[in-house]
Amino acid sequence: MDRPSLTASQDEETEINLSPMIDCIFILLIFFIVTTVFVEETGVEVLKPRIIAFDKLDKNSVQFAITSENKVVYGGKEIGIGGVAPRVKAAISKGQVPINIQADERADAGVFDRVVTEAKLAGAQIIAFSSEEQ
Amino acid sequence: MARSSRFQRDEGTPEINLSPMIDCIFILLIFFIVTTVFVEEVGLEVNKPQASNTTNLDEDKETVAIEITKSDKIMLDGKELELGTLAQRVKSATTRDKEIPVTITVHKNASHGLFSKVWAQAHANGAVNLSYTTTQ
Repeated sequence: MDRPSLTASQDEETEINLSPMIDCIFILLIFFIVTTVFVEETGVEVLKPRIIAFDKLDKNSVQFAITSENKVVYGGKEIGIGGVAPRVKAAISKGQVPINIQADERADAGVFDRVVTEAKLAGAQIIAFSSEEQ
Repeated sequence: MARSSRFQRDEGTPEINLSPMIDCIFILLIFFIVTTVFVEEVGLEVNKPQASNTTNLDEDKETVAIEITKSDKIMLDGKELELGTLAQRVKSATTRDKEIPVTITVHKNASHGLFSKVWAQAHANGAVNLSYTTTQ
């Protein structure tokens, strides 16, 4: 009979088939591995300018921030304009990477220009500034 | 006998205990979920001519020379104008000559916000040959 066997099977160790779950987890894992980029965040909030035209920037880039008090920030620390060149040099030593400057709209254009100049002199070829997404 | 029982076991379907592997994968998965950032950075590329590679400008070649003053005013040919008017002027210049050089001369105490707006405006209106310099 079928019915008693159903109850009888409970005596044995019940095992759930885990293979479909493993498949799912693998797919998730691969998705997250592929989408992860290890970018050092600037660690400061800046008010990015709203502009009428913008492009999508490369996510895998070196991020600098210029705050409204004209402080140059990298990786959560204030580095000053002099600290830009060594960090750009270190980043591009393994190959060209884009440089992205998140400048506050109240920052001076002169400070922005000096950061761009420093990065350019250090050998960076692609330099961009961030804007607000509208 | 112990030996014969071992051989007997092989006849049934062998099952690998997958639980430790699932644990490992879960830990990896959680690590990658936590570290992933889905932030899209948008912006514009800037181009600044270097002193060493500037090309000799033709004296009679037409250029669009935009100036941003210390007090955040946009000047074109010595006259102050609005961002919207600037867009039209750039557009008419770029439709005449696609490769027309557009330069933005920005005072170092002008705000980055205005500079980026002017840059974006020029970029959107077809200025391909766009560059900027700063003044003291």
